[in-house]
Amino acid sequence: MFTGELMPLLGYFLYSFSSMVTGTFTAPDQVGVTPSSILWLVPLVGSIAVAYKVTKLPTITAGNFIKETLVLFGSIVVFIAITALVLFALTWLIVE
Amino acid sequence: MVRLVKENYIPFLAIVGVLAWAIPGGGHFVLKERKRAIIIFATVFVTLCIGLYVGSIGVIDPVGAQPWYYGQVAASPVVILLGYITAGGEYPVHGKPSEIGQIYTCVAGLLNLLFVVNAVYLAHIRYSEAGEG
Repeated sequence: MFTGELMPLLGYFLYSFSSMVTGTFTAPDQVGVTPSSILWLVPLVGSIAVAYKVTKLPTITAGNFIKETLVLFGSIVVFIAITALVLFALTWLIVE
Repeated sequence: MVRLVKENYIPFLAIVGVLAWAIPGGGHFVLKERKRAIIIFATVFVTLCIGLYVGSIGVIDPVGAQPWYYGQVAASPVVILLGYITAGGEYPVHGKPSEIGQIYTCVAGLLNLLFVVNAVYLAHIRYSEAGEG
């Protein structure tokens, strides 16, 4: 059945991915504890937006998918930014 | 037709589920959802790779970070293989890179878990429709 055609693909994927990872990703990147390190959330939000839309849209067309994903991505980022501002304002009020 | 459907129902769902876990997007691929499969593969693959790039393979730690490991394993069986390699503690990682790497790799796993559930549900719908038709 379809598993027959997928098994070589599966083997190839497992072998090549593990070889690539063990060959290259053996030392951590330099990431400091700085305000800019918060920007690491942006690609993660992108992944989550894509994952949500790919399961929810009834049909996938390039234009519609990109538009819907960008809207969701923007909504999440704006919501996070507003939450951060509110928390920052609260902290400032308490401390000052 | 209906009898055949009932006989193959559980193995079909199991194959779709296992394929979806083994290769991200594999479950959707066998259900002829090729566009979704490609997007799913790219999403999980890129998210996992970003995590491994930032934190190194040391973020996959089945001994010292077991709760994270359970989430990471959902991304692919490759993570189990990497877990065997890193179990000896030869790839130490601390601080922010460890934190970011663990979050990315665990989220990649949890996203793939979502895709596995989605693929099995789609398979169930397809089979139900085939049984009725």
